[in-house]
Amino acid sequence: MFELLVQTGLNALYAASYLSLVAVGLVLIFGVMGIINFAHGELFMLGAYAVVAVYSDFQLPFVLAAAVGLVFVGCLGLVMEWSLFRPLKDNPLGGLVASIGFLMIAQALVSMGFGVRMEHVPPVTQEVIVFSDKIRLPVQRLTVIVASVVFLGLLWAFLKKTRFGWALRASAQDPEAAALQGISVRQTARIAMFIGAGLAGIAGALTAPLISVNPHMGHSVIVAAFIVIIVGGVGSLEGAVLASVVYAIVHTFVTTFADGVLADITGLLLMLLVLVIKPTGLFGTADRA
Amino acid sequence: MIRHVFTGRFNRRSFIKASASLAGLAALNTSTSGLALAADKVVKIGFLAPLTGAVAAWGKPGLDGCQIWAERVNAAGGISIGGEGHKVEFVAYDNEYDPAKARTGATKLIREDGVKFIMMLGGDTWPGVEPVADRTGMLFSTLLPSDLSPDTNTLIAPAEVHPIYNVTGVEWLAENRPDLKTAVMCAQDDALGLPSVATYLAAFEAAGIEMLDEPLLFDPATTDFAPVVTRLLSKNPQIVCLDTCYSDYVHPIVEQLFQQGYKGQIISCTADFYDQMIAKTSKEFMEGFIFQFPDFDDPALNGHGVNFDDPNGFYAEYNKRHPGEWGAVSWEYASIMDLWKAAAEKAGSVEPDAVLNAMTGSGKGNHAFGEADWWGKDLFGIDNALVGDWPVVAIENGKARIKGFKSIPDWYGKHGELLKKHMAAYNQMWDQRT
Repeated sequence: MFELLVQTGLNALYAASYLSLVAVGLVLIFGVMGIINFAHGELFMLGAYAVVAVYSDFQLPFVLAAAVGLVFVGCLGLVMEWSLFRPLKDNPLGGLVASIGFLMIAQALVSMGFGVRMEHVPPVTQEVIVFSDKIRLPVQRLTVIVASVVFLGLLWAFLKKTRFGWALRASAQDPEAAALQGISVRQTARIAMFIGAGLAGIAGALTAPLISVNPHMGHSVIVAAFIVIIVGGVGSLEGAVLASVVYAIVHTFVTTFADGVLADITGLLLMLLVLVIKPTGLFGTADRA
Repeated sequence: MIRHVFTGRFNRRSFIKASASLAGLAALNTSTSGLALAADKVVKIGFLAPLTGAVAAWGKPGLDGCQIWAERVNAAGGISIGGEGHKVEFVAYDNEYDPAKARTGATKLIREDGVKFIMMLGGDTWPGVEPVADRTGMLFSTLLPSDLSPDTNTLIAPAEVHPIYNVTGVEWLAENRPDLKTAVMCAQDDALGLPSVATYLAAFEAAGIEMLDEPLLFDPATTDFAPVVTRLLSKNPQIVCLDTCYSDYVHPIVEQLFQQGYKGQIISCTADFYDQMIAKTSKEFMEGFIFQFPDFDDPALNGHGVNFDDPNGFYAEYNKRHPGEWGAVSWEYASIMDLWKAAAEKAGSVEPDAVLNAMTGSGKGNHAFGEADWWGKDLFGIDNALVGDWPVVAIENGKARIKGFKSIPDWYGKHGELLKKHMAAYNQMWDQRT
């Protein structure tokens, strides 16, 4: 039983790591721009397809493919900000609808370009850290965990220690006051969109060798990410990270000790419970301001 | 892959149209060594299956196989109806495994395209199509006999009796590996997974193999299978059964089994694109993996009364056109067309009722793997499933090889009550589904 608990804990740690990258990106975009980006799951998917193209098809190093995933999807975020969200910045519902349109277009383009079948991504490494016969951690999964911690650490340092980061936080707290202080809200929106989309892209890229890569893979990720940001508190980065860990632990343990369908129901019940007890989420405030 | 962008495959409709055009051109350019093709005589066949989405692996490869079948048949003079050759054309509609889209597609194929027969994957999409079938009397086929019920007598399951044939893999395993006595199983919680769970439970019970745990069901939206595999392996099973998981699940589950140190037997309904699984694990790990769908270059298909024309040549042609795409259904829809063609020629008509009578009238039919019986009243409430022998396949040295053919009716004769018991427990009997 002890070994089963430890192995399940390691599984949960991996799930929490990539989910927190996706959720933090989603929160960042909402916090600065007030946009609920429904296409965030597709940004995750596009990060995975960047790996398919660069690493699987062109057989370039995986590190380069992951970097391409981050930059390419980040740049796509800039395009989304310019073409979808900026013209609709005073219309939150319009941004939501536009992002749904984008996700459908992204799925269709990927289906046309790569086909509808799952893609084969060769393993980067088959090394496994063996703690005991029943406790094993594949190096590929450890890489995702470490990379997630590094990227979240870099994001934290950026937001807390740099002028751009301060500007971003100021814009998120009070866009009008930030503008009066000379902060370009448009510039901060671009930065937020690049970082938010890039985090989803790198999450997709890092997990591509470990999951089934297909045009519809973003669906389950976005559902989990929305549960996470509601539990953590919409607009709270710390809440998103903590809620990712809580959700991953609950979902993974229920899957292992009960079944996968019950795990999905439990995740939704967790969200419901938090909304009943604290409607703003664990770290959220009543308003985005 | 990304190379599709450079080869001009910009959408599925243009792809399908191009394929149909090529088939037509090929037919027109052939020598008329057989029947004379009447230029204006065309029989249209509907192909209503998922060509995109998560279940596309059990639709799209089948359409590709049908195009090859059509070219072969048209090149030989087409279908002979009343001594006159008729060219075959497939009209495809992507139902995306969605019941509403399937209903729209069925209506379009019948009313606008004038098809004479519609092939489906079935499953979750059949309830959407059933009212159209009942209203029009159109002849439909499904790969999933669990769609059958007495409510619709124009639905047939002539190619495979999913999931009943899964019993043959377990039976073969019990005979050849009697040392394996314990098993666990996982499956997605849907119309494909659940009847298969019931079938495997019956097969394991009949073989004296103990289930160490309840079948672990997971949501079809699952992407990370590590927790599922951790749970499966916590019971120390000698056999891990992957039920009828989609290939999008089989691959990551197998990879997790490998990474979590499993060294036992794996059995699964399918192992589509198993070369990729070998690449992600190892040849040694995949050795002995049992499933139910052969590669058609298998020498065993050249004997045993196999009723599929030149299986090796078909496989070679398929792989030439669609390298790495061969899967469980690549031959199945084409095999159904063999039966339909024979029945239409026997009836001298392509009308649905005439073909159905010619096909099922004698109670027997030429299934892909030998002579078979129209069967199913016990389980499906109607004898519209063609049941005979089915191959058991194992991966040996990185290649799928048929290990033998087992009789489904023989197994059912001995263990039918067990199967009914487990089907009823999962609400999969026809009277529970309708």
